[in-house]
Amino acid sequence: MEKQINELKDACLSAVKQAKNVHELQEIEVKYLGRKGELTIILRGVKDLPDDQKPVIGKLGNIVKTELENAVANQKTKLQAKELEESLKDEDFDITAPGPEIRVGHIHPLSQTQYEVEKIFNSMGFMIMDGPEAESEYYNFEGLNIPSWHPARDMQDTFFIKNKRDKKHGKMVLRTHTSPVQVRTMEKYGAPLRIIVPGQVFRNEATDASHDAAFDQIEGFMIDKDISLSHLKGVLKEFLTRLFGKEVVVRFRPGYFPFVEPGLEVDFSCLICEGKGCRVCKKTGWVEFMGAGMIHENVLKAGGIDSKKWQGWAFGFGLTRLVMMRHGIDDIRHLRSGDLRFINQF
Amino acid sequence: MKISLNWIKDFVDLDSKMEPQKLADLVTTRTAEIEGVEDLAGQFDNMVVGKIKVIKPHPDADKLQVTETEVGGGKTLQIVCGASNIYEGMYAPVALSGAMVKWHGEGDPVELKPTKVRSVLSEGMLCAGEEIGLESKEHGIYDLKGLDVKEGMPLSKVFLRDDTVFEVDNKSLTHRPDLWGHYGMAREIAAIIGKPLKKLNLDVEFPSKGESPDIEIRDYDLCPRYCGVIIKNIKIEDSPQWLKDRLVAVGYRPVSNIVDVTNYVMAELGQPLHAFDKNFIKKGIVVRRAKKDETITTLDDQKRKLDTDMLVIADHEKPVAIAGVMGGENSEINDGTTEIIIESANFNPQNVRTTSARLGLRTEAVQRFEKSLDPALAETALKRTCELILKLCPDARIAGPIADVKKIKITKPKIELSVKKVSSKIGVPISQKKCAGILTGLEFEVAKKSDDILEVTVPTFRATKDVDIEDDLVEEIARMYGYENIPAEVPDLPIKVPRRNKQRTLKHKARMILAGMGLSEVYTYTFYGEDIMSNALPAASKLQDKHLQIENPLSNDQTHLRVSLVPNLLKAISENLRFMDNLQIFEVGRTFLETGTYFPTEDKWICGSVVFPQKAKIEAFYEAKAICMQFLNKFLKREVELLNPKDEPPYVHPSRTARVVVGDEEIGRIFEVHPVVLKNYDIDAKAAMFELNFTKLSAFEEPTIKYKPIPKFPGLDIDISVLVDRKKTVKEVEKAILRANEKLIRKIKLFDIYQGENIEQDKKALAFRVLLQAEDRTLTDEEMAKVQKKIFANLKNLGGVVRGT
Repeated sequence: MEKQINELKDACLSAVKQAKNVHELQEIEVKYLGRKGELTIILRGVKDLPDDQKPVIGKLGNIVKTELENAVANQKTKLQAKELEESLKDEDFDITAPGPEIRVGHIHPLSQTQYEVEKIFNSMGFMIMDGPEAESEYYNFEGLNIPSWHPARDMQDTFFIKNKRDKKHGKMVLRTHTSPVQVRTMEKYGAPLRIIVPGQVFRNEATDASHDAAFDQIEGFMIDKDISLSHLKGVLKEFLTRLFGKEVVVRFRPGYFPFVEPGLEVDFSCLICEGKGCRVCKKTGWVEFMGAGMIHENVLKAGGIDSKKWQGWAFGFGLTRLVMMRHGIDDIRHLRSGDLRFINQF
Repeated sequence: MKISLNWIKDFVDLDSKMEPQKLADLVTTRTAEIEGVEDLAGQFDNMVVGKIKVIKPHPDADKLQVTETEVGGGKTLQIVCGASNIYEGMYAPVALSGAMVKWHGEGDPVELKPTKVRSVLSEGMLCAGEEIGLESKEHGIYDLKGLDVKEGMPLSKVFLRDDTVFEVDNKSLTHRPDLWGHYGMAREIAAIIGKPLKKLNLDVEFPSKGESPDIEIRDYDLCPRYCGVIIKNIKIEDSPQWLKDRLVAVGYRPVSNIVDVTNYVMAELGQPLHAFDKNFIKKGIVVRRAKKDETITTLDDQKRKLDTDMLVIADHEKPVAIAGVMGGENSEINDGTTEIIIESANFNPQNVRTTSARLGLRTEAVQRFEKSLDPALAETALKRTCELILKLCPDARIAGPIADVKKIKITKPKIELSVKKVSSKIGVPISQKKCAGILTGLEFEVAKKSDDILEVTVPTFRATKDVDIEDDLVEEIARMYGYENIPAEVPDLPIKVPRRNKQRTLKHKARMILAGMGLSEVYTYTFYGEDIMSNALPAASKLQDKHLQIENPLSNDQTHLRVSLVPNLLKAISENLRFMDNLQIFEVGRTFLETGTYFPTEDKWICGSVVFPQKAKIEAFYEAKAICMQFLNKFLKREVELLNPKDEPPYVHPSRTARVVVGDEEIGRIFEVHPVVLKNYDIDAKAAMFELNFTKLSAFEEPTIKYKPIPKFPGLDIDISVLVDRKKTVKEVEKAILRANEKLIRKIKLFDIYQGENIEQDKKALAFRVLLQAEDRTLTDEEMAKVQKKIFANLKNLGGVVRGT
């Protein structure tokens, strides 16, 4: 009897182990442990055994029963998990179908780059300043050492405002550059200064793919003791290297702007060909980028700063041009078109 | 401006081993930008003379023709051509495969290859002058008629060229009157490469007696100096080839010996000159302002009306030239000219510039005079001109001494230069010796005053405008020291936290919040035209008078500065609706309001808009309100109130508008766009907007958020449905609910509004979910029932009928 039970146990365990799915396992369970199962029948026969064998076989039978029940249960869990996994794997799920549309807004590329530029200069201790777009002739021109006869003041370049005239300020213009904020800031805070001025400027010229009546500039200047051209090169190199995320070389060339002396044109090494010469840099290896120079003593004077004690540099570049270069935008008019087919790319 | 290296070599020995490009780079970094280097010898490679044998129409293009062109050696090419001036039998330049041509004379030269033009093979190109670097006589293909040519002849044989030409960016010469000729440029090059400048050696003598022009200057402000000389026994002829070659190399069209010499001297020394046929000058030269409505026909065959601000050169009867701009036809040199008066003068730069601008006539002379020429140059240039004329016309004779009428002070300003300052401004130590060396090389006179101070005398050709303060000398030293030799260094300054620009920071924050809510940022123009303005702000609107107007707009869509972002934003919406049926946009920008003071009120505004198709079951106002309130909640973290409209601009819907108020400050409005305005913009959609005065918004202090404990005890929801009079607002009903127990009622949420079938016409049904919650305990059913009862009572007092009770 004992042997019979043990054989039965081995047969059952081996069957359980080999069960391939929950259904097979259920059949095995019924065969051995069900109401008419082989073990059940044996256990049911214990009461007919001699009294001395009853407890021994009875105990063994129950132990085996529990063992087999556990084995079945374990195997069931395993097989169920496996079956679930397989059924999940089998699912025909098309991940390429789209999800629901989530409305996301886009920030204008000019704002994005402007923000980056502001952050970089801010981290170098530059304060961000602002000034009026409807500006006086005084701040836009005279204060910047651009006297009334200067070519830059030709009617065709400047928008004038009707019926605005003032003894000190002259006529009113839409500022043609961000530089008027130089004198305004000097008047307000005095020296030393580290400033950048991003802002919209206006030129009264016919529009085409590369000219618009309104565009954005960034002005920067620094006034302190012993501030030099070498520092200008250093700060610009640092700025451009951070902005583009790779080492940039800065080149100075002589240039002329009435509000600086010495005056410079600033180029940076073409990032596309790395200075070897390509279409973007017109095969020169350099990209023309900004005008700069040491602030003219007349401008410092206009701002109430003593040019014997303080000196500094200023630069100005086209944020619009930078953004166009960065994103390969071929027509400046996209920027103020309000066209979402353009904006939503950024 | 073009500079010929052969010409430069007259004045400075160039190292033959130095690549022209290298020299150009040096000039670019030291003096002025060289935009291009052109090797004239190689420019005609793979170009020959072609003879057009047959011209046929192009099968697929009206404007094109197909030619058979003989190119020598019995070879005939099929060439497609778009110019209309070709004819059978014409000799013209043909670019063969491999030639470098500039398409339409623009951009970089491109290598030519046989190609199909609208399905017809073109094996070469018939060229216009500007496409192969020739001065163009006329429009279209360059006609070689009259030249001794034969098909197949290399073009380089026809146009002998052996020179290298620098193209100088004129903009970089704005402040350098001395660089508008080869001699000045040679002086710079000599200083750059450290070679001596060969001084101009004039070999010409003037008789001490004889006939000189009678010159009278009536306005010395406009003409500080006028030199003139008479030359007789002139014979007008073509110039010799060497002179023609030089002129052509730098872009002048040879005309005849006398005119060519004046151009030559201008290109050499930078001084414009003019030659008059003496026979047409009655009595003498008078330099005066033009009379009112006086006219003159200039050399370009245009009749020009003058005004009294303009200076003319006249005789005793008529104007013969516009001073510093262009000569007149009436005294022009012609084939029969035998006696001439040569003018070499100095004119007021501003006046020349304004005259030129007013006449719309920019010439080589204008470009130079407007830069403030050295008055001393007038005499030198006149002598040089005479020297050359005598060389070209050996029989000619100078009739008398130079007449020189002037009121000028030829000054050589002295400037004290601190070498310490030089080093401090450039950022590298530069010795006194080095400073002196550089300046001397540029013909400044330098005297040592102390270990630090140099006394520098400015030469006349740099003194007119360019160099008058110490910093001007710093520039001379910096550029000749070499900008590339200045190291890039970050200044060694104490750390300073920059003052915060709150508006800027907040502007970026506002953008992020709005973009996060699905609105895209657009930029529109700060100005608009009458039509766009009237679309949104009809004539009756008070706002129309508050506009600043542009005095000199280029087009009629930029006449008014905006008083609101709305008009241009509506235009953007209208345009976008061609490609989409719903959109959400915003703009951050400035507005300008006339207030009677000089400076207008320049405020920054945020304007947002949501647009849906007409058929959408959406109340646009509430969409805009939700966005605006959510934005304000994130941005301001303050209580915001919406009030009924009071005195709103005409673009808002009269009843679907709310004023946005914070404390007692009105900061903007939320509104649906007035249907008439939508129609004006051709917008067939639901559109609601909000506009917020950002200048005001950003002035509020930012409150620090105070943490509120997270509730420990569960709350209970009660749903209430109430039928109220249609005129009752949700806010009124909410207030009535809240009054029931302000302590326990934590949240009132409207989840349904219904009006229509099954309820009375003048009623609406509102359904609220009210959250009751205590901080210190779980509420009992009794407590809840008590509050509910109170709510019901309050609603009844309001005239409401609570449903389902």
